[in-house]
Amino acid sequence: MMSKAMSQGDRIIQMGLCCPALIICGVFVWLLFDVVSQGISGLSWQFLTQLPADAGRAGGIVSIIVSTFIVLIIALLVALPIGLGTAIWLAEFADEDQTGMAVAVWVRRSLQLLAGVPSIVVGLFGYAVFCQLLGLGYSLLAGGLTLGCMILPLLIGSLEAGLRAVPCTYRINAVALGLSKFSVIRRILLPQAAPALLAGLILSIGRALAETAALLFTSGYVTRMPESVYDSGRVLSVHVFDLAMNVPGGDKNAYATALVLLLGLLLINSVLKKVVNIWAAREN
Amino acid sequence: MSRAFSLFLVVITLVLVGCNQRGADTERLLLTGSSTMAPLLTELAIAFENQRGQTRIDVQTGGSSRGITDVRRGLVDIGMVSRSLNDKEDDLQAHLIAQDGIGLILNTANPVVSLTDQQIVNIYTGAADNWQLFGGANEPITVVSKAEGRSTLDLFLAYFKLPVADLRAHIIIGDNEQGIKAVAGNAKAIGYVSIGAAEYSIRAGLPIKLIPVNGVQASTDSVSSGLFPLSRPLNLVTRVEAKPGQVSSTTAADFIRFAQSDKARALILRQYFVPPQG
Repeated sequence: MMSKAMSQGDRIIQMGLCCPALIICGVFVWLLFDVVSQGISGLSWQFLTQLPADAGRAGGIVSIIVSTFIVLIIALLVALPIGLGTAIWLAEFADEDQTGMAVAVWVRRSLQLLAGVPSIVVGLFGYAVFCQLLGLGYSLLAGGLTLGCMILPLLIGSLEAGLRAVPCTYRINAVALGLSKFSVIRRILLPQAAPALLAGLILSIGRALAETAALLFTSGYVTRMPESVYDSGRVLSVHVFDLAMNVPGGDKNAYATALVLLLGLLLINSVLKKVVNIWAAREN
Repeated sequence: MSRAFSLFLVVITLVLVGCNQRGADTERLLLTGSSTMAPLLTELAIAFENQRGQTRIDVQTGGSSRGITDVRRGLVDIGMVSRSLNDKEDDLQAHLIAQDGIGLILNTANPVVSLTDQQIVNIYTGAADNWQLFGGANEPITVVSKAEGRSTLDLFLAYFKLPVADLRAHIIIGDNEQGIKAVAGNAKAIGYVSIGAAEYSIRAGLPIKLIPVNGVQASTDSVSSGLFPLSRPLNLVTRVEAKPGQVSSTTAADFIRFAQSDKARALILRQYFVPPQG
């Protein structure tokens, strides 16, 4: 009798817990349905290969896609080496002596702070430092560097956690076999931390592609096809924002652009997953 | 793996080096300012570039105040300012390229067809908070207003002689489209937006209507004839140089002349603004 009542209670709790999960699913499906249903009619080969016309109401978004891609590549080119270096140092070297530990505390603190800084503040910083102080003006380079600052904490955080999760016995065995520290990191630790690297990359790219405000005043508003990284170029999220909020009759192309952004993100994520898996498999 | 990586590095280096070569013989012009004007100026810039060649005009946004600050600091050649310049801005020169009327909009489900200026003031100061007072349903009024720094807000406040602190708004919006969406989605709302944008949305079937201001029908026609009281000029702004009436860079002067020419009229109308008469 008692156990039956308990199991009934369990079932209620189980159902209660299931509801929020279903709600999350529902919200996602609704969002996807909204973007796909409103955006699919505007999506065509021409839309992907033509330049915007009539303030974005007509034409396509090819220059916007190119600008977005360049900004993303610059951000990753800047953030990946710095992020990798910092994460490896934090996870593998910082604990070796007293000064290292003291420095690591400050590095972690500033990373936590940087992660919590609202993106608009990072954008203002980027505008003041890269656009004005360094004289880059509104440019893809300034936008990419600003984004790089924004995604650094995400990359470092997940990568350091990934490296720390590798069992210590691996390191001890490797040292016993006479491997240098560098080979241990390259051949054993990094491949083992590949899933964490992947998660960090996916988070970073998601954040980078979603960023609107900071890029509006660093990489700018220009819809022309960029000729160099010193040119201003509008990214997808800024284009969606401008069409939806500033251009009467821009709704249809705003949705189509949002759909492209969503599909692009899914495509990049799946390609990344493949690449990282292949790399990890080969190194193992 | 390492060979692939070196190849990748070489390609990236080549791309970056290749990128570095700016067209030296290309003239460049930078504009910043009003986000209302940015789409129009982008279109005018493309037309100007096509006509002239060897010229690049970059348009950036940030608001009218930003346009003025940037021109003063000498960061840009031309600022976009969607209001008249005031007395403190006599170091700058305004070049009118179009007019933009601001109309009050209601949802079509609202039976109210007109409001006097005093009634509008009462609504926006919170003194009147129910549509019943104006012949509508017994429902509270949702007041939609613009965020500070927007020239639409400045114009609205100046016309109705309201200090900004007296405004009692329920929804604060940024751009015209946001305001139109807020009123289209709420039968109890009142808002004010660009007439060109409102007319477009009405033609597109959104459930909003423009109401007259001080007895004058809100339309692009009444704006262009100068009858409509709530309108604002869209100005290109430059610094007043040593010789009055002259713009420093000839390209900038040419572009402003192009924006004021007959060739620009069609583009201005296509962005739902009103070219100046004459």
